[in-house]
Amino acid sequence: MDATVENNVNPVRRSKEDKKVIRKQLKASHTLLKHEGISTARQPTKSLVVANGGLGNGVSREELSAALKQMGEVDKLIMHPNKPYAFVTYRSEESARKAHINLNGEKLQCGENSVTLYLSYVDSVTCEEEASVPLPEGLVLVEDFVCSEEEALLLAAIDWSSTNTDVTAQKALKHRRVKHYGFEFRYDNNNVDKDKPLPAGIPQECLPVLERCVKNQHIDIMPDQLTVNQYESGQGIPPHVDTHSAFEDTIMSLSLGAKTVMEFRHPDGRLVAVVLPERSLLVMKGESRFLWTHGITPRKFDMVPACDPQSFGDTTPDLRTSSNLTLSKRGTRTSLTFRKIRHEPCRCAFPSACDSQGAPPAPSPPPPPSLPCCHADAALLEEQYVHRVYDAIASHFSSTRHSPWPRVCHFLSSLPPGSVLADVGCGNGKYLGVNPELSAVGCDRSSALVQICAERGFQAFVSDALSVPLRAASCDACISIAVIHHFSTQERRLAAVQELVRLLKPGGRALIYVWAFEQEYNKQRSKYLKDQNKELPENHNPAENSPEESQEPQGKSSVHNSSHSEDNYRTVDNNQHVTDGKLSVHTNRTAFETKDLLVPWHLKDGKKRVEGDSGEGGKKDKQKEKSKKTSRSKATLDCNPATSPGLDSNMFSDSSLDTIAATHSSKPSPCCDTSQTCSSAVKSESEIIPAPVFHRYYHVFQQGELEQLCAQQAGVTVQSSYHDQGNWCVILEKALNR
Amino acid sequence: MKLLTHNMLTSHVKGVTKGYPLLIKATEVKVNEVDFNPQFVSRMIPKLEWSALVQAADELGHRQDLPVELVPEYEKNEEFLKKVHRVLLEVEVIEGCLRCPESGREFPISRGIPNMLLNDDEV
Repeated sequence: MDATVENNVNPVRRSKEDKKVIRKQLKASHTLLKHEGISTARQPTKSLVVANGGLGNGVSREELSAALKQMGEVDKLIMHPNKPYAFVTYRSEESARKAHINLNGEKLQCGENSVTLYLSYVDSVTCEEEASVPLPEGLVLVEDFVCSEEEALLLAAIDWSSTNTDVTAQKALKHRRVKHYGFEFRYDNNNVDKDKPLPAGIPQECLPVLERCVKNQHIDIMPDQLTVNQYESGQGIPPHVDTHSAFEDTIMSLSLGAKTVMEFRHPDGRLVAVVLPERSLLVMKGESRFLWTHGITPRKFDMVPACDPQSFGDTTPDLRTSSNLTLSKRGTRTSLTFRKIRHEPCRCAFPSACDSQGAPPAPSPPPPPSLPCCHADAALLEEQYVHRVYDAIASHFSSTRHSPWPRVCHFLSSLPPGSVLADVGCGNGKYLGVNPELSAVGCDRSSALVQICAERGFQAFVSDALSVPLRAASCDACISIAVIHHFSTQERRLAAVQELVRLLKPGGRALIYVWAFEQEYNKQRSKYLKDQNKELPENHNPAENSPEESQEPQGKSSVHNSSHSEDNYRTVDNNQHVTDGKLSVHTNRTAFETKDLLVPWHLKDGKKRVEGDSGEGGKKDKQKEKSKKTSRSKATLDCNPATSPGLDSNMFSDSSLDTIAATHSSKPSPCCDTSQTCSSAVKSESEIIPAPVFHRYYHVFQQGELEQLCAQQAGVTVQSSYHDQGNWCVILEKALNR
Repeated sequence: MKLLTHNMLTSHVKGVTKGYPLLIKATEVKVNEVDFNPQFVSRMIPKLEWSALVQAADELGHRQDLPVELVPEYEKNEEFLKKVHRVLLEVEVIEGCLRCPESGREFPISRGIPNMLLNDDEV
């Protein structure tokens, strides 16, 4: 006996009786093999059939090859899916004989179970070069789309805390866990509540990934909906097509935590099983998105290609042939599926599967919101189109609001030291620190933004601008910059002004800025209109442009001009009154057409990220993995848990795996490359990158309108009124005798 | 929330006339080090509701020896100003709540931020 034989195989001195038994069993196996069309050879050859050493018996490639390699150099090891045998071809006949001697009739330990191997020589090994199965049209799989660190970050970002009753119910039902961001996907009608955005938009942590998707041209429009699915081993999702009318074409799914096999089925019966490795991105477009169904069979084990390119001799193993399959136990996989909500009916080329074009009619899209006529409706509108949006975009918003406006700073600096200032609608606290001699306190409706103020060391609290919990006449000055235009009725806008005045001490002053309907002033286009080519120019609202990028603000001269002169401005378009009371969505960077509108905000992560070793780390991990598999170690024999076919009846899918798991390696984006581009992507303010879109309600003011509003307030005088970069501005003074 | 801010805050629950000062129930209080600017403190004092400040400091257990009444000529009294500085700007309520003295309505303070939002029926 060979001294190098390892412990998993126990060659034992056999009694005559034992030998007889083995002979009998061998004969039986020959018969079986014959039925399979395999004829065994009497004389030794380089090739052997290893009965019971097949994937169909639950024997993994690693386990078997470890045992076989000990006998000599293996040229080929072929394990067909479902078959209860394997073919091994050794480099030399001598090795084959060694294997025969040592392994025939011997038990192979596979995890918790063992199988008895029976070896016979074969003349030739049929290795069908199966034509590689193409992926469904429109499907792209990008491996290593995120590195391990990013994966960990993303997984940590998902909050599964069970305040959500759905999550607890799912757990109880041993159902996969699901969580939605951006918009709620409803499983009762398989559609989305498009008019009810969720308070939580796509988590910030996802933005680098999405930017990478855009950069690598997988998508041109940023998704605004995210569904997170978490599958434990044994859980799956039935085959389905994502509702056409709910989502735009491209759907992307990021696989984290574990690999799985997703099955695509065409109406004509074709089945393609696709391995989705950990950290890979699956991009579904066109036919693969609209026509093929996709699903994950609930399983505990999948058949996947073995990734061991260095193990077998000369050939670069073609991952798409059956000769390189192995079993893989499922781990817990979390998928992040990013989609873009569709607002128009679907007009795809696959009407048979399309709910917009025939098949069950989609629920008619909700009518656009209309202007409210009462406080309750107004509050609801503002909740949806102001408050929720700011909470969702808070940190991106804050990152674009870093430079205080000079004229506001001038106002603040002109206040006597020790003045008490209230910044109503303080946002990210941009103005709270401008004049350190002041006692400044801010308030905002968005707790997310107030949180940013606190982080910066400012004093701020959460409250509504219509009811500020400060005592009357407690402030020497107030500012309200780009706030009042978010109120959706005249009454509420007036109430906001009144509240500011209430806070002022007699003789105190308030500065108010609101968006102007007239974006051109003094024949000069506002920066808002000018900056058509800026990155995310739509987010640089008139009131919040960073002045450092431009020349002197245009409005300066207006202080001296009479602001009532018609010559000083012209509207770019005709001044249209809102007649039907419906709100329209504004096209950013163009002149306003109506006074009440929804303005898109394109979400992007503007935060600077520290590009650490994530790229390198990811690479290292990859190398470690590779070396683990090539080493001839005992460890691999035990590493796969019980693979007995009996354990999991679903191991081999009912769809009879007539095609094999295909891996399509499109050019993987190694994370170290993309992480470098990531850091440059952060500062790519000059690129136009589409982003998830939120809509904010605005009422833009016409010339004189703000003044009129203030005039309705008794006991105040308008000290000055001017146009500043697309805003109408007013400084009010509260009368001394109030 | 610093006590300077607390001094300005009031309950704005509908119908309440005596909503000031808000009572403080603190579960976490921090004392930070803030640069002492005597002129600033001096300027703030006349704008404060002194008794409310003392009461608040008391509630937090940080009153130390802050006097019930303002000392005369405090502008030049650096020792006094320092005491005021500490109480006004260095003591911070991180967790707890503010309670309307009339209605009992509580406004939570979380991570140093009071949430003064009223429900629709309270406005």
